Amino acid sequence: MPVWLREHSWRQTLTAVYLSLPLRGARATPANIFCSEQYLKVSIPPFLFEAVLYAPIDDTNSTAKIGNGNIFFTLYKREPAMWDSLTLANADKEKLQYLRENAVLKAQEKAKEETEAKKITKQEHKKYALEATMKLEEAERKRIEDLKEKERQKVAKELELWKSQQKDGDKYKSIQKEGELHQEIEPLKERKNEKMNKTRILNEGTSKTRLKSTKGCHGSCSIFSQNLKEEQLPAPRVAATIKVNFTPRVFPTALRESRVAEEEEWLHKQAEARRIINSDLSELEDLKEEEKNPDWLKDKGNKMFAMGDYLGAVNAYNLAVRLNNKLPLLYLNRAACHLKLRNLHKAIEDSSKALELLTPAVPDNENARVKAHVRRGTAFCQLELYTEGLQDFEAALKIDPRNKNIEKDAEKIRHLIQGTMQSS
Amino acid sequence: MSAATVGPERPQVVSHVQQALSYTVFDCKWVPRSARLLCLGSAARGTGVVQLYELHGARLELLREIEKPKPIKCGTFGATSLQQRYLATGDFDGNLNIWNLEAPEIPVYSVKGHKEIINSIDGVGGLGIGEGAPEIVTGSRDGTVKVWDPRQSDTPVANMEPVQGESKRDCWTVAFGNAYNQEERVVCAGYDNGDIKLFDLKTMSLRWETNIKNGVCSVEFDRKDINMNKLVATSLEGKFHVFDMRTQHPTKGFASVSEKAQKSTIWQVRHLPQNRDIFMTSGGSGSLHLWKYEYPAQRSKKDSEGCEMGVAGSVSLLQNVTLSTQPISSLDWSPDKKGLCVCGAFDQTVRVLIVTKLNKI
Repeated sequence: MPVWLREHSWRQTLTAVYLSLPLRGARATPANIFCSEQYLKVSIPPFLFEAVLYAPIDDTNSTAKIGNGNIFFTLYKREPAMWDSLTLANADKEKLQYLRENAVLKAQEKAKEETEAKKITKQEHKKYALEATMKLEEAERKRIEDLKEKERQKVAKELELWKSQQKDGDKYKSIQKEGELHQEIEPLKERKNEKMNKTRILNEGTSKTRLKSTKGCHGSCSIFSQNLKEEQLPAPRVAATIKVNFTPRVFPTALRESRVAEEEEWLHKQAEARRIINSDLSELEDLKEEEKNPDWLKDKGNKMFAMGDYLGAVNAYNLAVRLNNKLPLLYLNRAACHLKLRNLHKAIEDSSKALELLTPAVPDNENARVKAHVRRGTAFCQLELYTEGLQDFEAALKIDPRNKNIEKDAEKIRHLIQGTMQSS
Repeated sequence: MSAATVGPERPQVVSHVQQALSYTVFDCKWVPRSARLLCLGSAARGTGVVQLYELHGARLELLREIEKPKPIKCGTFGATSLQQRYLATGDFDGNLNIWNLEAPEIPVYSVKGHKEIINSIDGVGGLGIGEGAPEIVTGSRDGTVKVWDPRQSDTPVANMEPVQGESKRDCWTVAFGNAYNQEERVVCAGYDNGDIKLFDLKTMSLRWETNIKNGVCSVEFDRKDINMNKLVATSLEGKFHVFDMRTQHPTKGFASVSEKAQKSTIWQVRHLPQNRDIFMTSGGSGSLHLWKYEYPAQRSKKDSEGCEMGVAGSVSLLQNVTLSTQPISSLDWSPDKKGLCVCGAFDQTVRVLIVTKLNKI
């Protein structure tokens, strides 16, 4: 139950009402006071004072002063009139209730409107500030653009000037050229004349532009000396060839520093893949590390072949094939060894295996395929299977049409075949 | 468009004219002693295109268009006289042709020089620059570099080819240099595996080689007609090297300074004809960088064994500008007007630019 404060005192003038409300020791803050057009309430729990005013007041301008245990209200009347009493008498409960609620609603609306107004003004201020900065920046930009434009125009003008001089120079030259056609003077003297005119024009031109006059002299000097030079141009150089070695590079693409790491990794992987494929052969345990590397074995085989040790080479290649049977070059080289050893059937087998592995047919393995065909062809011929041999030589010729040796051999075989056919 | 700073004294790159083309332009060159420029390239139907433009105010006027059976990769005026101004071109089929632009139906000189595309061409001895016979050098994907004399048909006067049995590398760029008298001449070639080789044509031998670890896109001497002074080599990965060519050490070769300009390939380098210490590089990101080389206090010093070795200077960036989103593959300074240059990019546009304030450097 609130405790009603009733010891208020008031007096009035035509335009204002002065209300004094003593607080019984309670502390009041602005939050405790609620005032609207026709309703005034002070609520400091447990104390309560409310008054439904006789007539509407202007609540925005009215004030309340808190101090000395007292609240002093200065309420400005809406309409200047003398009030009979402070509060509305004969107000029934419902009307009071209604007025109270109305008052609260009205206060809320006012508060909303105030915040709205504040927001709007804030936005407008912001907009204004933004526009001002934009204007400043525009001005700056325009200044820079103007500078650039001026440069551009200056430069364009100079260019026009230079161009007009070029045109004059050209015009004179064309007139001179026509003169050439009509006259019949020795070509040498004629050329000298033309050049002299040109130098004169050039000299005039140079004095107008910013080219230094010395350049004009140089021009004429060089043209005169060029004249002499033309009659004395050295003979064409004696043809020669310089052989060039390139820094080795595996990939056909250009070298880029950023890709070097990737490329190294790829090459490393390739090398790894070519090493032991079937590593579970028990005999491999007593081989040395390098002997397990098919590439190393291939190199060893090649060396032995070069030295004439064909059996040793075949052994090396055999071991390499056991380690990695997917390398066509091993079969190719082993075929060559077998040819030398006159193991012709084995040579044919190996060349065939090599050709199988050398599919697909790409320019990269052209050399290898030519060799395979040539070796197989030779083996066939030595077995007197000339038609098969010819087939191989022709295949080799198809891959590499410019190889004279293959052509010669193919011719020989053709003759042999014709010879045997005639005789049989 | 550009990130150029508008400082008071820095050179500015002003884009003067932009011309859209209906074909891919591979090379653009100024016609000497004129305001005309040539664009060489490949049309969509696989034929070669040569277009001759003239600069008129703020636009380019097409004077002539010539179509050839094979796409054209590169061209040069370097080996013709000023009166004739014949254009030497290399095409995608390996043919070297020299054309008279007044009568372009039949070439003045033609040879099937290489088995594969001619990537790069250079000429020396013409235009009043350099002494000695006019010669053209071509570098091709078949790994060979051949020097031709227009007076001798069918066979080159020098052939730099791989050793028998060696796999070939793409030659991407060639340049002449050291042509200061009638006998001396040098050809520098850059390959896709990063090799740079210097061939001496007087002794017909390899004078120097090195590997810069990235494919070499473009090499150029600062001047063809003087005792070789500087060589700039640009490569993939945004790097370029400037070699001081005055002092050759027996083992260490030439001293160099290298700079990494941007993340993308540097397609071309071109020195300003009027000032041999200023050069422009064009990049795969469509940007152009203008550089200045500063010489060191002493250009050579003695090493621990008393041999002379060169000292490289330093390179500073004067200006950079981004013109396009596609690589700028070709660049040419006008030999007549300082600061005027043309560049062709893979977005099928050719642009004429003016670089200002080059006098103040």
